[in-house]
Amino acid sequence: MNSPHGSVHVTIDNRAVEIPLGSTILKAAEASGIYIPTLCAHKDLTPFGGCRICIVEVEGMRGFPTACTTPVEEGMIVRTQTAQIQSIRNEIFNLILSEHPASCLICDEKDQCKEYSVTVRKVGVTTGCRFCPNDGQCELQDVADKIGVTELNYPIYYRNLPVEKDDPFYDRDYNLCILCGRCVRICQEVRTANAIAFKQRGRHTVIGPAFKRTHLDAGCEFCGACVSVCPTGALSEKSRKWRGKEDRAVTTTCPLCGIGCQINVLVKQEEVMGVLPAEAPELNNGQLCVKGRFCIPEAVNTYKRMKRYQKLEDGVLVEITPDEAMALAAEKLATCTPDSFGLIISPDSTNEDFYVAQKFAREAIGSNQIDTTASSYYDGWFSEYLKLFSIGGTLEDLRRASVIVAVGLDTRYGRSVMGVELRQAMRRGALIVTIHPRRHNLSVIADVWLKPPWRGTPRLLNDLMTLINDPRHNVIVSDGADKLDKAAAILRGADSTVTLIGSEFTPDIDCDKIYAAVDELAKATHARILPLPAAGNLVGSIFMGAYRQLSPGGGPSDHMLDVHNMLHSTPSDDKTGGLYLIGVDPAPYRGTAEFIISQNSYPAENAQAADLVFPAAMFTEVDGTMYNQEKRLLNLHKCVDPPGDALPNWQIVSRLAARMGKAGFEYATVEDVQAEIPPIVKGAGDSLIKRNKIGVMTKKTLEEIRAKRARDGMPTFRISLDEHIFRGYPLSRWVGGMRIIQPVDTLYINPADAAQFGLADGEKAAVSVNGFERVWPVIIDDEQPSGEVRVAVNAAEWNMRYGLSITIRKHNG
Amino acid sequence: MEKVLFTHVDQPEQHRIETYVKNGGYQALPKVLRDYKPDEVIDIVRKSGLRGRGGAGFSAGMKWSFVPRDTPKPKYLCCNADESEPGTCKDRVLMERDPHLVVEGIIIAAYAIQAHQAFIYVRGEFVYPAFRMEQAVAEAYAKGYLGRNILDSGYDLDLVVHTGGGAYICGEETALLSSLEGDRSLSRIRPPFPAVEGLYGCPTVVNNVETLANVPYIINRGPDWFRSHGTEKSPGTKIFSLSGNVKRPGNYEVDLGVPLSYVINDLGGGVPEGHTLKAIIPGGASTPLLLPHQIDTPLDFESMAQAGSMLGSGAIIVIDDGACMVWTAMKLIDFFQHESCGKCTPCREGTAWLKQLINRIEGGEGRPGDIDLILDVCGNIMGRTICPLGDAAVMPTESIIKLFRNEFEYHIDNKTCLVKTSYPLA
Repeated sequence: MNSPHGSVHVTIDNRAVEIPLGSTILKAAEASGIYIPTLCAHKDLTPFGGCRICIVEVEGMRGFPTACTTPVEEGMIVRTQTAQIQSIRNEIFNLILSEHPASCLICDEKDQCKEYSVTVRKVGVTTGCRFCPNDGQCELQDVADKIGVTELNYPIYYRNLPVEKDDPFYDRDYNLCILCGRCVRICQEVRTANAIAFKQRGRHTVIGPAFKRTHLDAGCEFCGACVSVCPTGALSEKSRKWRGKEDRAVTTTCPLCGIGCQINVLVKQEEVMGVLPAEAPELNNGQLCVKGRFCIPEAVNTYKRMKRYQKLEDGVLVEITPDEAMALAAEKLATCTPDSFGLIISPDSTNEDFYVAQKFAREAIGSNQIDTTASSYYDGWFSEYLKLFSIGGTLEDLRRASVIVAVGLDTRYGRSVMGVELRQAMRRGALIVTIHPRRHNLSVIADVWLKPPWRGTPRLLNDLMTLINDPRHNVIVSDGADKLDKAAAILRGADSTVTLIGSEFTPDIDCDKIYAAVDELAKATHARILPLPAAGNLVGSIFMGAYRQLSPGGGPSDHMLDVHNMLHSTPSDDKTGGLYLIGVDPAPYRGTAEFIISQNSYPAENAQAADLVFPAAMFTEVDGTMYNQEKRLLNLHKCVDPPGDALPNWQIVSRLAARMGKAGFEYATVEDVQAEIPPIVKGAGDSLIKRNKIGVMTKKTLEEIRAKRARDGMPTFRISLDEHIFRGYPLSRWVGGMRIIQPVDTLYINPADAAQFGLADGEKAAVSVNGFERVWPVIIDDEQPSGEVRVAVNAAEWNMRYGLSITIRKHNG
Repeated sequence: MEKVLFTHVDQPEQHRIETYVKNGGYQALPKVLRDYKPDEVIDIVRKSGLRGRGGAGFSAGMKWSFVPRDTPKPKYLCCNADESEPGTCKDRVLMERDPHLVVEGIIIAAYAIQAHQAFIYVRGEFVYPAFRMEQAVAEAYAKGYLGRNILDSGYDLDLVVHTGGGAYICGEETALLSSLEGDRSLSRIRPPFPAVEGLYGCPTVVNNVETLANVPYIINRGPDWFRSHGTEKSPGTKIFSLSGNVKRPGNYEVDLGVPLSYVINDLGGGVPEGHTLKAIIPGGASTPLLLPHQIDTPLDFESMAQAGSMLGSGAIIVIDDGACMVWTAMKLIDFFQHESCGKCTPCREGTAWLKQLINRIEGGEGRPGDIDLILDVCGNIMGRTICPLGDAAVMPTESIIKLFRNEFEYHIDNKTCLVKTSYPLA
């Protein structure tokens, strides 16, 4: 075995082991297949030495050192199984169990008990006496088995702590806690969120946020890392508590944002039961965010899932057979001309979905009018955003970077895996500059936090640029020149910089200027850029030619349809043509087309929003591929069957094309689709697309929008979007916990602005924009820049986001 | 007997820098900065044989010499003033009455290990001593004994007085460092030892107040003078905090190696009239007990160890025949259980069980077999914890039970004390 520091030879239980210098006895034992029981040790964490169960005997060493903390030395002779060690280990284990309910470990009738307790229980039952949701998945049980504990010397001291159920996603029963400290350490060492700590002393020690705060207030990211490492049932997921062990796990890709985290989907009785992070060192490296870790089972198993084909008849949706639905759709679409047809697809679909959908539009209908809903998010400035992709970096670049610039990035809930990367970079000495108008989860850890005022971001970036080029230049910005100086000095001295782009400035009115400045800044500092799109497969939609103005391969395509304009157009009588919506909320489009086909996994809130409804499979139910933000090709694997008549999107589209009598859609499997793509899309089969430009757009839209802006004047109001959107709907619609951690539909306003409108905290405000009016509760927020209010809204209200004629008034009642 | 550390403690205004200087203070520091290289200072202290006064008795010069010399990392010196072992109150007197002696010792020690930042970690409850230390540090800065370019020597040192987190564990050297860093005070795993990887991951020396207070005297008068006090292996003088059932409790400075009886009887006046000596806790609450026949044991590290106990921090607690040993054991274990940090299983669970069992016996609800169970739990803690505080809880408990098992048995059988405690119970 080679290692930079050489290796040493040790003898463990009479077995010779060669191991790199600096390893612990535990590592050496594991490497040679010798079992030493552990509880507080964990492969991702620094040694703690708290549980003491791994004690061993080392010749020439005083006492009983713990294997997890003691480094090996040349010639060391270690014994792990002497009678004395076994007896001490047993006693220590006894002490641990003296505070842990242990009937499941030592009861004579535990085997029979298992037979009687097969039902899913939420309450105590008369057979068995278990009150731990982790039976069968508990490391205490493993250790008890391995070291052969059959009776306990001490009576059980039950701490009688109340079970904590107030926070979303996971419950905490600290009566089952053995204080191994894994949760505290993973929160501090790996996640660096520092939400939880040890509290109190001695036997009164408990885990939790300091100063009686809730997890929400303590900055918990609800990433679930603590739940994953808990060796007992103390921490358990609400959604699968009491469900026991999974039948199998399937590794696939999470499509809930552009990172492309690898996840292990746990399946029990042919249902998605839970999700755990996959190792994937080149990607999420065993980490996840709240969405990937906790939201998926609720989102894919919701009872509202669409199972049958439906048509709108007399104002209600009635079930029809797939054949009837196909016939109806084919009949309607036959009347469409290329100009009177539009296909809009969700940006979290698979590459195969995109490819087949655009082929359907282009070949079956003969129309280039295909788009994704992402285009209404990025608006006309998408060409600027695309430029950033062209100097795109990879996670590997980020891991090597000495300076990281985060532009409008908050990693608490969304993209929290990137937050982990950032903090780990910080720990290895990288400097961090964050640009964000409000306090966010990076503001406390960044070396410099540049806080632009409302509409001040382009100027701030330009000033920064000036200072980088000329440190003596005297710029005065409202943020304070000292911090800008510091940021400029950091960037000037950087040998490798990576810029991360979050969502804060994406729907900003100055978006084009901001991205142009970021682009310039990156060029000046030789930085790589890693745009972090909120949409799962934005890159795939560009590549496959599903994004407007783009053809397969990313080349320009003309004759595009502007989803944004369609959204704005008022319902009128002379509407013509049809809209085919795939994974899109049809409600905002109603009235813009003669008929709407809505193909989705979720139903629309309003049953009358679509004329035909096709049930689509979820990402957990399909095979396929996606591209992440780095342009890396990732695989999706089918975990369970889709419910009812639901099918993968590409399959429904192909069937419809076939029904319309169009040739070229005879795909039997997803591989058939995949085989067709590489000749058309250059590099589509590569695992990481190296070429820089992934799409080239015409400048037309950008110019139009600039002209319109010049004509209309500048808006004074901004609505930010709920970026956690999946298949056209916010996750919070299906996942209860999301509603708690990130409230949508609440208006945040600066105190000065609130005073101007006569609004007090907790009151309601009626906001009228572009002729739409909504009433939202008000939260007065010092962090909110003056001149701008913030409210996260659902897709249905996107058309309110640039308000030109806006009024805010107090709403009574 | 010549007093050293206590030479000036009874003088009014000794805590002010003018008085301290008038009485011969701040003479060692200029000498060190002018005449000695750092290694020479370490050498002098090593030659003097000065041993740590915090309890472990490790050679101070040796400890300093472990600090790597060629590291690019900064080095730190921490003065451990988290004096919180029941019975020990010697550092408090030094800090209140002669704070500049401690400051001077710190500066010399910091120079010896070439640290440019030093800390005094004062027990959180020591509000007044911390105030006096802060005052002394401010005065030393004003006179140029601290700060940049001390006495034109080119040597810089900053000294910060930090008040502790309010726990016994904060006095354990690695836990002290965690606390100083702003973390929860939990013991760290050794190795790496603080001299290599301590505060903020940098080489750090942690020394007790009394240890450092000896340093200026050793510099001024030389190692040979220091060795003229005490024994060969335990040279110097030592402050003993005498408490318990004695006529004149207090802090007494004597040469190491004097018999225990000298401190208890000659200085402390012995046990009150009408009582006889029953037991002695010789080195602070965490040391095993001695019996009356051992009263002539010399007070030095080796002799105490030979007698089955420890010199510890030098807190002598005298117990006379008017004390119930079950009650005594209960008071001791209550303290240790309360102060267990909770990090490692044996101490956290074990002390809780010890407390429960001993309280049960004291409360008249003891069961046959409890005594053996206590000894069993003691065996489960001893030597199996991260830091010495687990052992600290076991040593007096085990020792009391072994020496006075009859009192425990009587308590279990008769649900009352064999010896009615004749003092008001706290």
